[in-house]
Amino acid sequence: MKKALVAAVLLGSSVSASAVAPGGPGCGWGNMVFEGKSGLPVHLIATIVNGTSYNKTFGMTTGTNGCDTSGALTYGGQSLLAMNGVLEEVAMDMAAGEGEALTALSVSMGIPAEDRSHFNTVMHDNFSAIFSSEEVTAGDVMESISAVMQSDEKLAKYI
Amino acid sequence: MRLRLFLALLACLLSSVTSAVESRTAEPSVLADDPLWLALLHFNRGATVHSRGETYVDDESFFLSETGAVDPLAELQANISAMRAQGSEVRCRFPARYQFLARKLGWAESDGLAHCAELQEWLGQIPDKRVVLVFPASYLNSPSSMFGHTLIRLDDAENPDSVWHSWAVNFGAAVGPEDNSILYVYRGLAGGYPGRFVIVPYATKIQEYSHLENRDIWEYTLDLSPAQIRRMILHLWELRDVNFDYYFFDENCSYRLLELIDVVEPGMTLVDGFRLAEPPVNTVRALYKKELVRERVYRPSKAAQLDAERQAMDAGQQKLVKRLMADPSVAKGPVFSAYDEAERHRMALLAYQVLRFRHRNDERDPEVAARSLALLKVVNANAYEGELTVPTPVPPERGHGTQMLSLGAGQLESQDFGELGYRFTYHDLIDRDTGFLRGAQIEGIDLHLRSTESDDLKLESADIVHIRSLSPRNRLIKPISWFVHGGLERALAGERKRLVRFVQGGPGVTWQAGNFMPYGFLTARLENNSAYSSFLEPGGGAQAGLLWYLPRAQVNAGGEGYYFANDEYRHRQFLRINVPLGRQSAIRAEWQRDGWRGDNDKGFSLTWRQFFN
Repeated sequence: MKKALVAAVLLGSSVSASAVAPGGPGCGWGNMVFEGKSGLPVHLIATIVNGTSYNKTFGMTTGTNGCDTSGALTYGGQSLLAMNGVLEEVAMDMAAGEGEALTALSVSMGIPAEDRSHFNTVMHDNFSAIFSSEEVTAGDVMESISAVMQSDEKLAKYI
Repeated sequence: MRLRLFLALLACLLSSVTSAVESRTAEPSVLADDPLWLALLHFNRGATVHSRGETYVDDESFFLSETGAVDPLAELQANISAMRAQGSEVRCRFPARYQFLARKLGWAESDGLAHCAELQEWLGQIPDKRVVLVFPASYLNSPSSMFGHTLIRLDDAENPDSVWHSWAVNFGAAVGPEDNSILYVYRGLAGGYPGRFVIVPYATKIQEYSHLENRDIWEYTLDLSPAQIRRMILHLWELRDVNFDYYFFDENCSYRLLELIDVVEPGMTLVDGFRLAEPPVNTVRALYKKELVRERVYRPSKAAQLDAERQAMDAGQQKLVKRLMADPSVAKGPVFSAYDEAERHRMALLAYQVLRFRHRNDERDPEVAARSLALLKVVNANAYEGELTVPTPVPPERGHGTQMLSLGAGQLESQDFGELGYRFTYHDLIDRDTGFLRGAQIEGIDLHLRSTESDDLKLESADIVHIRSLSPRNRLIKPISWFVHGGLERALAGERKRLVRFVQGGPGVTWQAGNFMPYGFLTARLENNSAYSSFLEPGGGAQAGLLWYLPRAQVNAGGEGYYFANDEYRHRQFLRINVPLGRQSAIRAEWQRDGWRGDNDKGFSLTWRQFFN
């Protein structure tokens, strides 16, 4: 069951094996921003019969699944940022100052509705620091977000 | 069958009698025919062709009795004896069955599932405040999406802060990662894969459908009570890792989801009637019919957003967006700076989105990644509040039915004819476009029988499949249109018309200007007929035409022609006008001229088209 969950987390996300990231390798934290999606033909074929290649996935997680899920940026035991494609959605929302991905991020960090617009503003203002290069990984971004929040009076308590 | 009906009647009778007499216990033989019991065991109550009167579940572990898959009574008795004892482990495996039995048989225990640690932990995690049926609609250029798909979403609040955190319940063919050949499609269609329910984060489904496949998503909130949601979730637990037969055409995702919803209120009989090839849109219709839909939400795809943003810009801005995509440093120049801050923000954001749109499905390219980040920095430096809302299109359930019968009459040269048609599925370029994508056609099994004064009823044509995807090109996005068409048709070959077998297809281009869509295709054709000396005669040609979407009619005019390797050729010019008379019917007028070496036929027809289902 647990191994299968790890597989599900990895599925579709091309993880650069060399990147050592928080949470340990294989958790998707090494995922780089603006990652493309390879193996598209397979994906297309899969959608024809609505295939689910997730093996035995039934419920997000029970306990740890091999990844370190103690960090704040987790989502039912998986990392929201490490999910395929999410990192660049977050990047766009952060640059623009709002959006669904940014809201999802703040919800996963336990930031209540009243502090979310402040969170959005702080993220928008620190965009260049958080996405410092086009080579940043999900792990880098998570660390930068934590650092930015630490130094903010209102947001520090959510780390 | 008759016995079952008798038992069902008996059950109604008995239940009214027994409830009147107070006793809370019911006879097993009666309980075994309870709609809820049959729904929990996924018995086929006559809705689809395969395994009627048996279960759809293809998994021995789902039954306690050896004959459980065909005998609901034996299964009921096995469950009663296994679950009656306090602390029974079997209850933890089949909690919805336990709940059913405990209620019907009056087992007095406050919480007979309290000892099920794993189940309780799962119940603690699974969102259970709201159930939403999710329908990713079809998208041009993606044939796999044309029928759509349905899944269920579970939310943790009545109005969740972020549905990215909801869970998605998906039913599909369970395939290993190693299965990536074309065989997969064949096996999937033929029932070679087991189907399974899986739960994944809804965020991954948004990524998959809205961002990667560019499919609009329709979300229908279901009007269910907490007790009903609870029952569905308990039953979902029972379906963990359980294999179903999976047939693309009838026992597909949509049918299974209806069955899942059926357990919340089995008396409602969502899965009534005969349902071959349940298209997902009919799932939505069935739910509306039972008044189960409380709210409908439209989630535009990335492509729809891009297009709305592009259309809000003038030609100069669109050209600038294109330049920005190629070189983000254009943002430093005077042309860009001349626009106000909000416009700069919107142009840079659109340039970023189009760039991602183009490259999202490719391998990562460091140079594209650098441009992407540079554009986001421009977005970031130019503040703008407020978002463009994409206009909500007509929802798919308001579209015409999936099957069609047609009756027509016309003239070919000096011969009068009558024509009878039946189309199994689904939509052509000039059918009423309400609820459908313009420029998309998917026809499967389209038969035409024709009778003339001198001839009896004869097969005129039989399309097995005819798919066309006309996706318009614009300044920023340049998709390739395509078509594929195969079947039988009457065509001139060797001095007379014969029923020839053919398959043809090719790439093309489409543009859009207001309600006009001009298009062109290249064609490759393979034909088999008894007049030509080779078994398969190859040919090539071209098609071109114009679609015109009027408020009350749709028009298609065009021409096509192809040459065979044996020097034969055929060409055709046509004009077709479709006038819808409501959701389910239309009148169509056609004029057509078919030509070949040395001669041609001219004809016209007027047809009544009636949709159903």
